Amino acid sequence: MSEHALPRRTPRPRPVAHPNGWWGMALFLASETVLFGALLGTYWYLRFKAVHWPPLGTPEPKVVLPLILTAILVATSVPMQAALRAAREGRLGATRLALAVALAVQATYFGLQIHLFLDDLTKFSPGGHAYGSIYFTLLGAHHAHVAVGLLLDAWFLLRLSTGLTRYRLGGLWATTIFWHFVNALAVLVVLTQLSPAL
Amino acid sequence: MRRSELLQWFGLFGGAAAWTVQHGALFFLAAARCNPSGSRWAFGMTGWQIGITVAAAAVALAAEAAAVVTALRTRGLEHDGPPPLGRIYFFALAASAGNVLFLGAIVLEGLGAGWWSSCGAS
Amino acid sequence: MAATEVLGPRARERIGRLDRIWEERPGLVGWLTTVDHKRIGLLYFFTTLAFFGAGGVEALLMRTQLSSPDGHVLGPDRYDQVMTMHGVTMIFLFVIPMTTGAFGNYLVPLMLGARDMAFPRLNALSYWLFLGSGCLMYAGLFLNMGPDAGWFNYVPLALKRYDPGLNIDFYALGLIFNSISSTVAAANFVVTIFKLRAPGMSLNRMPLFVFAMLAVSLSLLIALPSLTVDLVFLELQRRLGFHFFDVGHGGSALLWQHLFWFFGHPEVYIIVLPAFGIATSIIPTFAKHRMIAFPLVALAELLVAFIGFGVWAHHMFATGIPTVTLVFFAAASMMVVIPSTIQIYAWTVTVMMGRPEFKAPLLFIGGFIAFFVVGGLSGIMFAAIPFDQATTDTYFVVAHFHFIIFGAAVFPILGGMYYWFPKVTGRLYHEPVAKASFWLTFAGTALTFFPMHIVGLLGMPRRVYTYQRGLGWDAYNLSETIGAFILTAGLLLIFGNLLWSRFRGPPAGPDPFFGGTLEWATSSPPPHYNFAVIPTVTSPYPNWDRADREEDARKLEAGELVLEEGHETPASTVRDGYLDEVLEMPSESWWPLTLGLLITVIFVMLLLAHFVIAGIFGALAVLALGGWHLQEPAEA
Repeated sequence: MSEHALPRRTPRPRPVAHPNGWWGMALFLASETVLFGALLGTYWYLRFKAVHWPPLGTPEPKVVLPLILTAILVATSVPMQAALRAAREGRLGATRLALAVALAVQATYFGLQIHLFLDDLTKFSPGGHAYGSIYFTLLGAHHAHVAVGLLLDAWFLLRLSTGLTRYRLGGLWATTIFWHFVNALAVLVVLTQLSPAL
Repeated sequence: MRRSELLQWFGLFGGAAAWTVQHGALFFLAAARCNPSGSRWAFGMTGWQIGITVAAAAVALAAEAAAVVTALRTRGLEHDGPPPLGRIYFFALAASAGNVLFLGAIVLEGLGAGWWSSCGAS
Repeated sequence: MAATEVLGPRARERIGRLDRIWEERPGLVGWLTTVDHKRIGLLYFFTTLAFFGAGGVEALLMRTQLSSPDGHVLGPDRYDQVMTMHGVTMIFLFVIPMTTGAFGNYLVPLMLGARDMAFPRLNALSYWLFLGSGCLMYAGLFLNMGPDAGWFNYVPLALKRYDPGLNIDFYALGLIFNSISSTVAAANFVVTIFKLRAPGMSLNRMPLFVFAMLAVSLSLLIALPSLTVDLVFLELQRRLGFHFFDVGHGGSALLWQHLFWFFGHPEVYIIVLPAFGIATSIIPTFAKHRMIAFPLVALAELLVAFIGFGVWAHHMFATGIPTVTLVFFAAASMMVVIPSTIQIYAWTVTVMMGRPEFKAPLLFIGGFIAFFVVGGLSGIMFAAIPFDQATTDTYFVVAHFHFIIFGAAVFPILGGMYYWFPKVTGRLYHEPVAKASFWLTFAGTALTFFPMHIVGLLGMPRRVYTYQRGLGWDAYNLSETIGAFILTAGLLLIFGNLLWSRFRGPPAGPDPFFGGTLEWATSSPPPHYNFAVIPTVTSPYPNWDRADREEDARKLEAGELVLEEGHETPASTVRDGYLDEVLEMPSESWWPLTLGLLITVIFVMLLLAHFVIAGIFGALAVLALGGWHLQEPAEA
């Protein structure tokens, strides 16, 4: 109905509080924290009840490669935060560059993780024992969140191609905290997943 | 002002956080100790229970102290008085009552878990 | 603005402009594309009433079957479906959407002095998702494949080996679907409560109803993911052969219960907290006195929710978990009672210290307090482990939770319907009939649910489709059934009164009961834009601050805080309510309905195991989300 609105006359000062979109993302992340808490809690609950974990015949998880990959993912918090800082300073080109770097590294991480996931499936199955069930479900949930993050990155790269507005800055801020959350969780997930071999 | 603000938030959340950590720890300890793999680890569950309970009670007491101090500092206002001091007074009042409850919960849970610390079913 | 106030020419011009900016399209299209929180609230209201009717029919069918021994009204399979759907309907499709979706949506922006919720389109989406999930589950019931393992759906009964049909899949997928609606609605409420309060409404000046809605929304956000994980595990096990719950492959049947009750116990506080909010709105108005110990009552709302997260295993006292676990959960369960007790004392003392006028809404709150005390006492008895182990799975439990759910959640809803009826419709309900409807409903409720305590202690188990003659239970069951029909008559009288008054009631004016909160500071029904002038707030009872409200009329003429340059509402800082910025809000949109339909198709396809098609619709849903976000607010 904005055709009935008058042209804006009153100048708007910069707001102090976090934008609504930031709060919406923060609350969604609180909810996802509980989701992962339930998944991680299930892993430990089932592990405590088991005598052999992994069950006999299932290989122990590899340690080195997953840890390296996780470190790489956690490192992408740096370009994401750099993108946010550049956006706050109005530097559109730097914002898009940092975002593209983050996306490229995160997408590579994702591709490698999917490869490892499919490789694990040839060695043991989720349908054999609770170990496999929780292992693949926990990892799958984490990878799904990474996928969502990739979509968010791509969306903002696209949107920012037509300019930087305060609304889009709010959205980028929400995306950045999403990635910080995913990265922190990645550490917990990988430590849990690797715990039988540690 | 800044100090009152920080004390207000610690008073409001400190007792709750302490009880949450103690409660979660009691659950985790019981799940670890009372299950097949945990019984192999053979750690002293009661010792951990007492330790965590004492630590949680200390934090809850500190939070209560913070809440009471803040309430006394902002005592002149009404609970619906103008912010920020009115709002701080409101939360300090509420927190002063809440931390008593959390302290009670911490002590009761710690006593109970410590006394009936059997892994057997009832 | 009262109809009798004389408006200056500039004021009338501003109101005309606000009308044009905020009006929505007429007719069905307007309802399908609405983002107005009041219209969404009404959509929720009528939909939840329809589900209440369905749940009520299920209840009457069960009570008729159980009215005498060896009943033949429902066979065991049908009884299981009716019983399960009664529980699922009343909890997920009636009480929670009614208190949050209907009452919460309609009232929270008004009480905050805002023009809409923080995310209006998301609000509409939550309604369409709720409708879709309810229809999905009822489709199962109508196809004789309804959920049939009880509302908490324990494994191994709910696994494929013992329940091979689609019944449990309707349950699991329906509730995952429903939880998306509740999650987005809860996030919307929290952001609205934090950011969209009127200038001057610092956190210590929020109405108690808003504190209750804050507690409910935070609880929903933290509790629902545990249920979602549980349901996902169940479907993965049923559909793809995963092993979470079967001991033979390293799983645990108790895992289901832990995850379920970590959600399930907070869920019951989610059920009852908005009712506390309604009670704390009605009492000051009719007692003509501010709520005693306001900060403690506000805190108690949040404390009940918080401590309620730590007591879940008291639903598992009879499962053989270690004694040490039993004991500390029993301790926490005893402590959770205390905040509710503080509230009961505050409510009662407020009424005693005021000059109470026992109109129908206050009568319903009186009934609520009576039932809540009895239900609370039976509840605290369960914290004693030996007593719980003796009465688990008997009708004593059924008595407890119906006193709480019906007595302590539904009675305030009924009182709230009477209380806010004048605000929503602009007409007054018929007071003498309303009072009679209270007494009839009260008598019916007491007669239906009180004997259940006795018959439970005499050993009658829950969830049985019939029972033998000669166990000493017959007379109690018969009285419970008679009570259920009296209760039904009471409810019909309430709805008859409201329906009749909707068309024939006398005009109510903006503030027939002299309420203290801001919804009473605007016309009945409110205009689309809620307030012509955004109110400035200096206390938790801003409508009792007449000087402030008289200032509003002056501001309207002068154009202060009218925000007529677009579809606008103010945002304030979170703690202290200082005016921070003016937000441009979205107006009507087809995206919420579109995305709601796409998500419904996804869940139907998952149910039918057409996973590829579900994936395709998932991709379409992502595209719809992109389309939704193409519309951005006009920049300053």
